[in-house]
Amino acid sequence: METIKRYFRPEQLREFSLVFLIVAIFMFFGSQIQGYFSPRIFNRVTSDVAIITVVAIGETLVLLTRNYDLSVGSIVGFTAFFVGKQLSFHPDMLPLFALLLAIGTGALMGLVNGLIISYGRVPSLIATLGMLAIYRSMLVAYPGNKIVVTSDFPKWVLDLGSASLFSVGGFDIRPVVVVALLILVIFQLVTAYLPYGRRLYAIGSNPEAARVGGLPAQRIVLFAYMLCGTLAGLGGFMFMVRYGDLNTAVAQGMELQAIAAAVVGGVSTNGGIGTMIGTVLGAFMINLLQQSLLRWLRISNFWVDAFLGLLILVAVTIDAVILGRLRDIWARTGLETRPGGEKGPVEKEEIHAA
Amino acid sequence: MATVESKTPILQMRHISKRFDTTQALDDVSLDLYPGEIHALMGENGAGKSTLIKIMTGVYHPDEGDILLDGKPIRVGNSVEAQAYGIAAIYQEPMIFPDLNVAENIFITHRVRGAVVNWNKMFREAEDILAQLGVKLDVRVPSRGLTLAARQTVEIAKAISLKVRVLIMDEPTSSLSAHEVTQLFSLARRLRDQGVSVLFISHRMEEVFEVADRVTIFRDGKRISTKPRAEVTPEGAIRDMVGRKIEEFFAKSQTQRSDLLISVRGLGKENVFSDINFEVYRGEVLGFAGLVGSRRTDVGLALFGIEPADSGEIVYQGKLARIRSPEQALQLGIAYATEDRLRVGLTMPMSIATNITLPMLRKYLSALGLVKRSAEEATAEQFRQRLSIRTPSVYTPVSQLSGGNQQKVMLSKWLNTRPQVLILDEPTRGIDVGAKAEVHHIINDLAAQGLGIILISSDMPEIMAMSDRILVMREGKQMGIFSRAEASQEKVLTAAMGQSSEPKGRA
Repeated sequence: METIKRYFRPEQLREFSLVFLIVAIFMFFGSQIQGYFSPRIFNRVTSDVAIITVVAIGETLVLLTRNYDLSVGSIVGFTAFFVGKQLSFHPDMLPLFALLLAIGTGALMGLVNGLIISYGRVPSLIATLGMLAIYRSMLVAYPGNKIVVTSDFPKWVLDLGSASLFSVGGFDIRPVVVVALLILVIFQLVTAYLPYGRRLYAIGSNPEAARVGGLPAQRIVLFAYMLCGTLAGLGGFMFMVRYGDLNTAVAQGMELQAIAAAVVGGVSTNGGIGTMIGTVLGAFMINLLQQSLLRWLRISNFWVDAFLGLLILVAVTIDAVILGRLRDIWARTGLETRPGGEKGPVEKEEIHAA
Repeated sequence: MATVESKTPILQMRHISKRFDTTQALDDVSLDLYPGEIHALMGENGAGKSTLIKIMTGVYHPDEGDILLDGKPIRVGNSVEAQAYGIAAIYQEPMIFPDLNVAENIFITHRVRGAVVNWNKMFREAEDILAQLGVKLDVRVPSRGLTLAARQTVEIAKAISLKVRVLIMDEPTSSLSAHEVTQLFSLARRLRDQGVSVLFISHRMEEVFEVADRVTIFRDGKRISTKPRAEVTPEGAIRDMVGRKIEEFFAKSQTQRSDLLISVRGLGKENVFSDINFEVYRGEVLGFAGLVGSRRTDVGLALFGIEPADSGEIVYQGKLARIRSPEQALQLGIAYATEDRLRVGLTMPMSIATNITLPMLRKYLSALGLVKRSAEEATAEQFRQRLSIRTPSVYTPVSQLSGGNQQKVMLSKWLNTRPQVLILDEPTRGIDVGAKAEVHHIINDLAAQGLGIILISSDMPEIMAMSDRILVMREGKQMGIFSRAEASQEKVLTAAMGQSSEPKGRA
């Protein structure tokens, strides 16, 4: 038991159960819906998940520090629309330049969020609620007509969206999916192995201790928002490539999807707990359920949303009750002292918190 | 440490003054800290100890005076700079990151070494530091759920990893059990022997006498004395702290015990406490003694219905009472003043008056259902005079009061519910000597007025002086009830620690 406790954490249990649930959902709908295992559903789900994954990973960075970013939906929308417009005016723009433009725009918007929150000391919920509206208004106020259609784009954009890097019997692996997997690997490593990543956990875990203990908390949080904005910018680019038709309402509500993915994946809104893999599994499960329920035709679209809302509540409740209990079991530890010198025998002594 | 004087000090505070608005927090204070000494700092609350520490750690900056490290003047701008100079502080409530493991907590604030976290190396180094401290602790477990003592150890390990030279311990023992205090002291001695200068702050005289090499006493922002421990006596230290000679403890006067108020039979709560039996009479103070973890507070919480008991019975004024919630307890006439003023006892940003009337708010409503300010004010004024709460106005936020006055506001709040039985949990913890005596007078008066009082306290002399009878608990079990005549500090302590001298863990 002690060995189990040392190398295995309650959070991992959460991830295993998500994988199990995803398999169970597959099996269930596979038996209910004809042609469920067709490439079409697979391609649709993976492409959608790829976009939300990238955005949710950014959101997770911010959530880990015990903050929120409600503006990511607007950032995705703005960058997709803005870059789409630029491409329609300058069709010979280099693809790489378009990508950098999207990422740079996102980073700038994230930087503004971060400055307001970490240096302006505005509560993140309020600050990003404001920015949600402002970034969306910037998009609506953008001069010219309010839509970009597929035919406005240079050919490479459309090709990139439907291209398949390789495919197995109609199951395509699209570029957006590869990008999302790459981002997942990078940020899983960042949060597990880079000092910066560990400090995100530290700050969310106990902000006061971070301040007193001398961590540059303001800079760390600022950078988290910038990364979140950057990833949302990348998400915007992916959105543009995938859908082609854009209007001023693009990616509206994506911030809630991103937060839902993270929460279902085990990220705590109190900060300090969660992994990128969890977030991605959460995003995948939500999207799979959504698509499957819509295809099942037994329940109306309206109930799909209610069902997903219920799912999020269940996830949070499980987190509060079961995982909280598990964490307590895992973490109960006292001190052992060696009386009289370093080489003395270890007197095993368990002292529990009263 | 007779050789202390021959060494050169690590840290010198020279003629430090600090002023906040109208309060002179520190007035021309000088203090030298030598390598290899444990230096105790004592003084009433508000004597300037915390201000001095905060200046050492860069939280405050002095108005006047110099800080010298190894004889060279330094400027400590913030806690990061203090760390760089080798000055670290450990507080009553350790500042740890609950979701990070022990090793990470030790190293998290280090300057980044290398681009990638080498987990195995970090675990190894953390184990080395803990071994150096003579402590064994699994460095891979998350810090959530570590005991307070273990968390303090993590903080000490962190300080060592940062090459600490001056370690400030600010009332580190106030929530530790006797055994954990012993562990902490052996850590402190080990650090001293390695040449660290330990500045130890405590309200507990016996601890200071046990561990300190030199003792400095502050009063009203001034340094009154610094002496080797051998030259300090408890009476002298108290005299220096309060500036006048007062009896250390006020003793409860004998009161006639009359009607039986409450009788508890076989009270138990699974895995918490079991088979608790006692009576409380009018005019009586029943002391609850025991070490940390003795579950005294849990019995109080059960009587007040916050964490109801699951077996046994409570007979209140002759009738069987089922207490399942604080509302029911208050209706019966039982009130409970918590030990935790800051978190649950008082609503800090609100005024004295609103705090006092909060539990009885429906008595202060006008016909329209609005709160009558005049009635509220009258009640608050009445308590302000009765308990002599020192405040500019009853509309002052309680957060601006001293600990002693906050305690009086909390007492007022519960007395206003007109209780018959008053449970006081650590009513004098963290308040200064003068305020403590006042609280003791109030307890005495209340008993004389016919209340039955249950006094839960870790302060042994207080329990001895204030109780008519003393119930001793140990790890959820009742070890006995001693009458005032038969109780002695040794007897109570022996019962509280159990029969064997071998410390046992709860499996």
